[in-house]
Amino acid sequence: MESQSEPRWILGLQIASVSMIWVFVLSISAWILHLLRLSRRLHDVPSASVGISIVAIPVFLLGAAVLTYVFVGLRRGREAPDESTLEPEEK
Amino acid sequence: MTSVNDKGVSAGGLEFEDQDLLRSIEDSGVGFRVVSTLLCLVILTAWVIFGRQILRGLGVTGLNQPVAWGFYIVNFVFFIGISHAGTLISAILRLSQAEWRRPITRMAEVITVVVLAIGAFHPVLDLGRPDRALNIFTAGRLQSPLLWDVSSISAYFMASTVYLYIPMIPDIALLRDRGVRPRWLYQFLAWGWQGTPRQQAVLERAVGILMVLVIPIAISVHTVISYIFAMTLQPGWHSTIFGPYFVVGAIFSGIAALMMVMIVLRRIFHLERYLKQVHFDYLSRLLLIMSLLWFYFTFSEYLTAFFGNEPSEMRVFYYKVTGPYAPFFWSMVVANFLIPAILLSFRRTRTIPGIFIASTSVVIGMWLERLNIVVPSLANPRLALPTGYYIPSLVEWVMFAGGIATFMLGFVIFARFFPLISVWEIQEGRKLSIAETTERLEGYLPDPVPSAATPPMTEGG
Repeated sequence: MESQSEPRWILGLQIASVSMIWVFVLSISAWILHLLRLSRRLHDVPSASVGISIVAIPVFLLGAAVLTYVFVGLRRGREAPDESTLEPEEK
Repeated sequence: MTSVNDKGVSAGGLEFEDQDLLRSIEDSGVGFRVVSTLLCLVILTAWVIFGRQILRGLGVTGLNQPVAWGFYIVNFVFFIGISHAGTLISAILRLSQAEWRRPITRMAEVITVVVLAIGAFHPVLDLGRPDRALNIFTAGRLQSPLLWDVSSISAYFMASTVYLYIPMIPDIALLRDRGVRPRWLYQFLAWGWQGTPRQQAVLERAVGILMVLVIPIAISVHTVISYIFAMTLQPGWHSTIFGPYFVVGAIFSGIAALMMVMIVLRRIFHLERYLKQVHFDYLSRLLLIMSLLWFYFTFSEYLTAFFGNEPSEMRVFYYKVTGPYAPFFWSMVVANFLIPAILLSFRRTRTIPGIFIASTSVVIGMWLERLNIVVPSLANPRLALPTGYYIPSLVEWVMFAGGIATFMLGFVIFARFFPLISVWEIQEGRKLSIAETTERLEGYLPDPVPSAATPPMTEGG
């Protein structure tokens, strides 16, 4: 199958890209938490602002989780390689 | 390998029924290079002008005191509004199982991702010192609705990108299996898709989660954008209905932009077989409803201000209705209400050219609406200052052209590498949707009369 003969570096790139999503999501969550701590320290935020800001964190986490679920699910959902279609060096 | 997977996509055959959908990818031709070069030149000019603005400061623009927000913020709100075309409309159509959505959703989702990126960059253009934008990472104030915008737009951008990408995987795998170049790109993006039942179940579950997730995010994004204005005490801005008013306006302009894009791409790529009159007919009915809703909100907003007769509110009111902004205000009413209402109400004018004129009119009208919201309130502040004025400079016009060129380039590049209409959804529709729709329709109908074998209930029995 086409997808089974993809080079290993492609798989590496795919894993790296999914990891990057998590780096992005965790960074943005850490940033929002940092701003929340800062605002508490400076006593300058009405509670509504905190509520609105904190809602964003689970949205980011859910987005990254869905992407990871699809990536893992598609890898696991592939058919087992058919022996008859493999190249001699792959056998 | 040539096989038809369960998603109905011919995996490797060179010829198949929906060959037209891949023509822009497999046979891009000189047109792609010419158009993208021209668009790149416009974008490059805009970047040079932006560089000059950074060096010389915002004095090169028409911004002044008290009108400190002009085209850049108008375009920010406008572009983010257009972004509601895609993910929100696509999610609603998918969720309601509207079968006519199939050739529309992909284009709608692309609009969202491209326009959102352009819109989100506009507040940076408005900064005299763009480098200071980085201060929000260390010392941003959560009290500011501008910061809520940063997080909500980022969340929407992420959700929209994922929502665009995941349903594209079967089509990317199709391109991979057809050996389209660059092959590594399609191998990388296909994520090992083979169309097995297990993979399909994963994909459908993910799309199901995302379509529910993106609707509240999309609504919250434009509500939060309205808060930039509504949370201040400026006359003309401090309104409780600004949130829903902005959401209605965003969906309104989004549908109009989507139809414009559909009509143009239908013509360029000869997609008449897929984007049929019925699709435009349904979307134009939605546009007409949104036009009426927009008029209702506008009327309600302005009537409340007028009836209250509060002096500072009235200065803004008359500035718009009879003052320097009257041409823009009344053009907005004509473009957003009169033209679409007339053209879309009658079957005779609800043709493709008529719909294109109505959509273009709405896009222009909604841009004028953003201009009418931003500038008059700043020109007539609550403080006892002389009435301000705002005349955009050439710099702002060039940046505006740069934004539109970026939007067009985004679409051209997407069309060069990916199908603008979802191939697998079209093929799935052909195979499954007639049976599914029939079953669903039967479910709506009253249950059949009980058979004669069952004795009927008698009165008093």
